[in-house]
Amino acid sequence: MSMFLEAIDIRKSFGTEKVLHNMNLRLAEHEMLSILGRSGSGKTTLLKILAGLELPDGGRVLLEGKDMGRVPPNRRDMVYLYQEPLLFPHLNVFENVAFGLRLRRVPEQDIRKRVQEMLDNLELPEQSRKMPQQLSGGQRQRVAFGRALIINPKVLLLDEPFGALDAETRASMQQLLKRIAEDFSITALFVTHALKEALLMGDRIGLMQEGKLKVYDNKKAFIDDADTGVQAELAFWRGIG
Amino acid sequence: MQKTSTYIGLGLFLALTAIPLLLGIGYALLFSLGLTGILSEGFTLEHWRAVLRSAAFWESIVFSAYVALVSIGMAVSLALFVVVRRPHTFEKGPLSFFIYLPLALPAIVMAFFIFQMMSKAGFLSRLAFQLGLTRSLGHFPDWVNGQYGIGIITAHFLMALPFFLILYTQMYRHEGMRALMQQAYTLGATRRQAAWRVAAPALFRRSFATVVLYLLFVMGSYEIPLLLGSQSRQMVSVLTIQKLQRFNLDDIPQAYTISVLYSMAVIVLALSSLPAYKWSGRKLFNRSRTVLKE
Amino acid sequence: MNVKKFGNKLASLGIILAVLFPFGFLLMLSMGRRWVFPSLLPEVWTPDNWLAIWGMQSGLGASLALSLALSLGIASMATAGSFWVSKQVAYHRHRRRWLAMAYLPYVFAPVILAACLQYFFIRTGLSGKFWGVAIAQLFITFPYGLIFFTSFWTERMLSMEHLIATLGGNTWQAYARVLLPVARGALLTCFFQLFLISWFEYGLTTLIGVGKVQTLTLKVFQYINEANIFFAALASCLLALPPVVLLWLNKRYVFSIGFSGPSRSGKSGSKDQEILK
Repeated sequence: MSMFLEAIDIRKSFGTEKVLHNMNLRLAEHEMLSILGRSGSGKTTLLKILAGLELPDGGRVLLEGKDMGRVPPNRRDMVYLYQEPLLFPHLNVFENVAFGLRLRRVPEQDIRKRVQEMLDNLELPEQSRKMPQQLSGGQRQRVAFGRALIINPKVLLLDEPFGALDAETRASMQQLLKRIAEDFSITALFVTHALKEALLMGDRIGLMQEGKLKVYDNKKAFIDDADTGVQAELAFWRGIG
Repeated sequence: MQKTSTYIGLGLFLALTAIPLLLGIGYALLFSLGLTGILSEGFTLEHWRAVLRSAAFWESIVFSAYVALVSIGMAVSLALFVVVRRPHTFEKGPLSFFIYLPLALPAIVMAFFIFQMMSKAGFLSRLAFQLGLTRSLGHFPDWVNGQYGIGIITAHFLMALPFFLILYTQMYRHEGMRALMQQAYTLGATRRQAAWRVAAPALFRRSFATVVLYLLFVMGSYEIPLLLGSQSRQMVSVLTIQKLQRFNLDDIPQAYTISVLYSMAVIVLALSSLPAYKWSGRKLFNRSRTVLKE
Repeated sequence: MNVKKFGNKLASLGIILAVLFPFGFLLMLSMGRRWVFPSLLPEVWTPDNWLAIWGMQSGLGASLALSLALSLGIASMATAGSFWVSKQVAYHRHRRRWLAMAYLPYVFAPVILAACLQYFFIRTGLSGKFWGVAIAQLFITFPYGLIFFTSFWTERMLSMEHLIATLGGNTWQAYARVLLPVARGALLTCFFQLFLISWFEYGLTTLIGVGKVQTLTLKVFQYINEANIFFAALASCLLALPPVVLLWLNKRYVFSIGFSGPSRSGKSGSKDQEILK
């Protein structure tokens, strides 16, 4: 059976450094897969290849069974979100969220309605006229989510989206993302280097190591595998007790 | 598609920067070696020998360097002194506007102004006469068109001073000088020591490349020495252009020889003074063979 | 305490007067006639010189128009061109080498560059022509703009462009909706600075234009040679006027001094700091 999103035998090197070796990935529709990996493990490269921002040296990317090889990033319907919210500094919150709709020439009335709904959903109803500089870190990241979600992308590629936030904001953003992932039936890849976050966010969890991705059947299998570092973490806390 | 625009972009870049420069230097080199030009009689090193042996050439190099070092040395020292002692003088208020005004004067206007001020019939000479300091026009010193290039140095100094005042004021604010000086205080420095052992050297080091570029700019300046210089001691640009425009055709290859020598000097100085670019985006761009398609 | 404050005020006033003096002095000369040694001020004061701008005889009005057309044209072309080209350079893997190449014409004395290139302008029939001078001025303004803009194209900008692509935007949309609006301030600053480089240029213009392309700077020199100091002062005032007006409108755009060094006009790009740190 073909999956919603598939990456088959992806290879990528930068010079002599092999970043991805024959990496495979399968993602079902409405599923959130979290991928744990250290920095430099090739997580970002994988996401960029999926988004079409980077070309693989070999292998294929299939979305709904279609080969994405020659499809440019702007026609893939996969939004890549960075750690930084990258809000457009010259546009206010409303216009940032409306951006993708304006690109698609959606009628003004629809835009107003949909953006307002999105802002309500993201708990940002009063902020629509503010400029990005006037928002807190968490608010900015929410606007970035809204800007991506409003165009109903097929897949969201999240590259450590909460990496720049403080612990408290991070926790509340995790909850918010969990909720909207359910509300919007999002299909997403969530890349992180934080163990707890990977466990919390993913329906399934994968581990990226030395250019390969290992996806676990369930959370227990992930916890039991010594490579994930969960056991070491547990041992540490037990040691204190 | 992305590749195409990269090629077009780099092509335009070469056409407007490197190619004219290479063509110019190449032509000057050929001319200086007798390989082209109206009087060319085939390869010869005669013009190079003539230039390298001529006192006028070496004097112009020394004189250009002297003018640049003295005028920029004074401007940089004074600007550092003012900014380190009173860092906020030009930050706000009317002075933050007025300090920019001198930058609105082109070199040629500055030269003209200095001439009208400092020449024997100039404003200062008249003032000196009215005050009884001189008895006639001839008593006033040769500040303009004189041997020591006082007029040239003054003009460059007056142009560079506001520039460096603004530069150091901005640097002081943006480069965390306050934090640096506070660090020095906690280590036991007095206000004076913090200013002279920390702030001033730090500002100077950070501005070093700018200072070198400015020196090159002054050494190659044309309008100011053209108007304020003397006939016997000329700066490089003036000497070159004068040789180029003289009726003695033998002077033309020499003008090109000087141009080639000047080019070499500028290229070596510029490239060796530009420090490593800080932005380490290179790795990113090695990686990112972007595939944004149109 | 009050004495100190008073002293500061006095010093500030002194600086302001010193700064204004050259402008006042030139303005005074431009309205004068007969200034015989040893009088401090001209004997005759008249607005005639200024009125002569509009007359055909002096050619000052024509020079003013020519200079404006040339400098505005150069500034627009070089700003637009260098903005786009700098992107290709900034994201190139040999960015540093390309940039080093752009620094050479930037530090080169324009008049010597002109001397070396004169032959080619004569051969192509561009010598003594408006377009010849325009092209020659592009050789000095374009590298300046290029260096100015390369630091605009940061990693962050690239990410933003990627983001626009994944949101469904094409290249045109990226430029029109984000890159150009975000770069607005930088574009304006660069435009003003390039305008001034062209506006202030003398040596290269006189060599390539062989004196036939009579910009205002050439006029100043011509009057000086004719010993007509009153008209030289008048032309000087006209030269200083646009920069002063621009400065008055917004000093931030016109003279943002960066950490890179002077341009031909003695100004510098604000954006080079990253490159030269």
